[in-house]
Amino acid sequence: MKISTQWLHEFVNPSATAEEIAERLTLAGIEISSVSDALPPLDNVVTGEVLKVAHHPHADKLRICDVRVSAGKHLQIVCGAPNVRTGMKVAVVLPGSHLPDGTEIRVSQLRGVESQGMLCSARELGITHDHSGLLELPGDTAVGINLAQALGGADKVLEVEITSNRGDCLSVLGIARELGALFDLDLNLPPYAPVRPAIRDNLPVNLAAPEACPVFAGRIIRGLRTDAVTPLWMCERLRRAGLRCVHPVVDVTQYVMLELGQPMHAYDLKHLSGGIVVRMAKTGESLQLLDGNAHTLEPDMLVIADSKRPLGVGGIMGGTASSVQADTRDIFLEAAYFSPEAISDRERKLGVQTDAAYRFTRGVDPTGQTRALERATRLLLSFANGEPGPVNRIAGRKSAAAKLTLRQLKLRQLLGIKVPAGDVDRILSRLGFRTRKHGRTWEVRVPSHRFDIEREEDLVEEVGRVFGYDRIPAIAYPSTQRMLPLPEEQLPLARLRDILIARGYQEIITYSFVDGPLQQRLTGSPGIALANPITTDMTVMRCSLWPGLVQTLRYNLNRQQKRVRIFEYGMRFIAQHNEITQENILSGLITGSQYPVQWGLPQRAADLADLRSDIDALLVASGAVEHLEARVAPHPALHPGQSAKIRLNGVDLGWMGALHPKLLRELMLDQPVFVFELMLGPLLRAHLPKLAEISPFPSLSRDLAVVVDAGVEAATILGLVREAAGRQAIEVRIFDIYYGPGVDSGRKSVALSLILQDSSRTLTDEAADATVKRVVRQLQSKLGATIRD
Amino acid sequence: MLELDQLIHEARTRAAASESLAALDEVRVHYLGKKGVLTEQLKVLGSLPAMDRPAAGQRVNRAKQAITELLDARRHTLEEQALAEQLAADAVDVTLPGRGQEPGGMHPVTRILERVQALFTTLGFRVEVGPEIEDEFHNFDALNFKPAHPARAEMDTFYLKDRPLLLRTHTSPVQIRALLKYGAPLRVIAPGRTFRHDYDVTHTPMFHQVEGLLVDKGVSMAHLRGTLTDFLQRFFEKDDLKLRFRPSYFPFVEPGAEVDISCIFCDGSGCRVCKHAGWLEVLGCGLVHPNVLETCHVDTERYSGWAFGVGIERLGMLRYGINDIRMNYENDLRFLRQFR
Repeated sequence: MKISTQWLHEFVNPSATAEEIAERLTLAGIEISSVSDALPPLDNVVTGEVLKVAHHPHADKLRICDVRVSAGKHLQIVCGAPNVRTGMKVAVVLPGSHLPDGTEIRVSQLRGVESQGMLCSARELGITHDHSGLLELPGDTAVGINLAQALGGADKVLEVEITSNRGDCLSVLGIARELGALFDLDLNLPPYAPVRPAIRDNLPVNLAAPEACPVFAGRIIRGLRTDAVTPLWMCERLRRAGLRCVHPVVDVTQYVMLELGQPMHAYDLKHLSGGIVVRMAKTGESLQLLDGNAHTLEPDMLVIADSKRPLGVGGIMGGTASSVQADTRDIFLEAAYFSPEAISDRERKLGVQTDAAYRFTRGVDPTGQTRALERATRLLLSFANGEPGPVNRIAGRKSAAAKLTLRQLKLRQLLGIKVPAGDVDRILSRLGFRTRKHGRTWEVRVPSHRFDIEREEDLVEEVGRVFGYDRIPAIAYPSTQRMLPLPEEQLPLARLRDILIARGYQEIITYSFVDGPLQQRLTGSPGIALANPITTDMTVMRCSLWPGLVQTLRYNLNRQQKRVRIFEYGMRFIAQHNEITQENILSGLITGSQYPVQWGLPQRAADLADLRSDIDALLVASGAVEHLEARVAPHPALHPGQSAKIRLNGVDLGWMGALHPKLLRELMLDQPVFVFELMLGPLLRAHLPKLAEISPFPSLSRDLAVVVDAGVEAATILGLVREAAGRQAIEVRIFDIYYGPGVDSGRKSVALSLILQDSSRTLTDEAADATVKRVVRQLQSKLGATIRD
Repeated sequence: MLELDQLIHEARTRAAASESLAALDEVRVHYLGKKGVLTEQLKVLGSLPAMDRPAAGQRVNRAKQAITELLDARRHTLEEQALAEQLAADAVDVTLPGRGQEPGGMHPVTRILERVQALFTTLGFRVEVGPEIEDEFHNFDALNFKPAHPARAEMDTFYLKDRPLLLRTHTSPVQIRALLKYGAPLRVIAPGRTFRHDYDVTHTPMFHQVEGLLVDKGVSMAHLRGTLTDFLQRFFEKDDLKLRFRPSYFPFVEPGAEVDISCIFCDGSGCRVCKHAGWLEVLGCGLVHPNVLETCHVDTERYSGWAFGVGIERLGMLRYGINDIRMNYENDLRFLRQFR
């Protein structure tokens, strides 16, 4: 909301600059986001009167005007504006000065005729965007005065941004009340005394929806002058508030809304039939609103209707059929209180935004309707004549003023400082509260405009914010707490993250909502849909982190980053029946060369075993790496020959594999990509280490190579070796796998390295050889292995 | 005994001529080996008259000792030479880059989150997390958002299709969950993802917050100011950082405030970043609304509390200069590598 400080000063007059006022308001919770000049610099622009208009001898569209700019001083000015006419009061830019856009105005020849200045449109003067003709000043404007003075004088405009609880500050009155409290000043209110009715005409009002519209007030005014022109001062105030002058009646309702915060509406009486009915809309009812569009109404929308049809949507926007027009003489003026619940969200449904709805949604003073009607009537009659009927106010329910208790102790406890009792009284009464002190307690009556005040704590805030938050000191709350528990069998997430980082992975964070089709392709599951996604490619909640990883991969490949190693942890969302499971998972992706280009290592592409070693490393932290197994299993996104379910202690932990070549093609990826995805919970569960005895006896190492069928899994071989070697085998590793000459096709040679040790004696060569023999026999009998020399 | 002196002289010449340990060993064998020249001399001692034997034996032993010493000296020299050669041969270009994997790094949002967490855990705050898909109760109702209040609409909430659930618009629901779980007194911070239907240079539909909550006896705005002053001064590592509390409105606090800090770029004198205001808005806070405490069964006559919520991306913007918040979620490796 924009508000003129000049207007504010009529209500309350602190001796402070606009900037100081803005600062005080901001620090009291009424944010002033900008302070700007109401008018551009208009030093050499004066008011003038066009005395004569003559045709230009050499140009059809130009006129030669005789303009009086002071008693006895006339200027000859050539002008091309279509609306220039004799008797018109205009703004004259005198020679030797500049327009706000920098154009210099001099005495010059226009098609051979001297022009001694310039007559201007509002746009040329930098006042509004109107360039349809000259800015026309009212007929009673004095000639020869500074234009700024004619427009009401220099002024600053405050841009007010209220928080949604302070609807009471959406008016000059509301802001003035705040300033009264901040500067400890009385308010000067304009006359709100009733205007004596001149006629008896009245419209019956049927309040059929008293919950939605608890108060409805209106009056008929007949016989308005159709040639009435809104006074310049009023237009100028509306302009400074960002509104346009459109019609005397509308201008007055807007003016009163800005002044008092009460939205109003005026109907052309001749278009109303019967009385007014305030009711909920009927299903399928439709109406053309002032935005020019036909709207279909819904049953939760409030309409103001006559006996035949809806006239407008209550509190939001009027309809075109009953709106005031240039020829309107008789009106019905409305000022109602609509409850926020009846307005909220209907604007969005209708696709409109209005100042009225903005105010009603945030709450309007439920007792201010008659005052607004009287103020509007008085203003309207002052320049458009007319005869008012009586005010007809119907109230469905009466809301009693809330009564609260404020304890001095509570005030001090919550603010942490002592506010003198006198200050408390002063602050609350300036804000419109009525207080009575009993001992160390105030009994407080809440004014009707402060529907946001419901509890003692709300009063504490009122006192605190006006007294000044900056007077509250900074005090450390005493620490009395015990140390927090630190379960060692629960790993911090940072431990896993740092393992991956050390292994070359970059952490990424991607959106929790992803592209539906991509997720379907990567997981075989559609995911939980959003009702209102922000873009068409972020429509479902992720059930896997792979969509985010793959999108990030594509983003970076497109930016010449061919070697990508990334990971993310976060929640995935899975719907089962009516339940939604939200679990943390950890996923990674590698592609491109395993190591950065360097002198000491041959370049090679990362593969599944590289990924597996990263997974193993993650489990080292939890001490569970020997309980990890990878099992061949199909996955819709993975290469059927390079896809495995990861299990820990026999329970599914996740997946690893290479993206399916078909998927790579669809995603336009031209290099193999390896991914893993693991449940985070089990990864973070660790064993508390318990020291095992370290054998003092020397160990022996034995290598052997066995030839087995190519399809035999490494895990099977290692399992059999461990089983046969027993506890003596402290380490079993595969150190080579070979296919080719010397090994039958369909077979492979697997080279194994065993480290053998006994915990109670020195192992002899003979004993070691016997163990190896057991291993060989086991492999021969279970796998048909042969020994390769 | 010219013969022995001659022998020693000859051995010295041959040792000096030996250019390797192997050659030198041959010299040793020649003189001192089992069949060496001096060993032979000792053997012939037996043939001398008994009275001459001791003197002759002494002479031979002296010669043997002299040759042993000169051979040892030569050995030492040769070993030193060999070591020097070995060292020369082993020399590498120490300026060569190292071999192996190059570490990755963490996301800037994680960096900030961890920094905030680390500061608060030193004060005994426990870290709590909550679900990202929330219900109306935890996200709004329990936080004192009235049904038709514009504060609800201002949250620009994402809703799930066909389910009465939403994506949490702030981390404040964790306040409710933690209070219901632990009761008062309580110190908690809750980091996490939050979601709002908004997208431009300063808004992404997903962002991160850290919520802080302290509920205890006699907690006041002064305590809130105390902790936040401490936090922001430590976070920005500026002991003279000034805080400004501006009254504001969040339904779940009363009194409520927004906190500005003196501009960290110009120390409050006015610059482009603070739009010449000298202040930067950093977070929202206040005393926990009694309606919220009562919903969580906390006795408001015994306990009061403060809460704050700070945007992590906003802190990242101020700390690291990430002016376009959207960059956080493009995950451009060239961007991410700057925060390793």
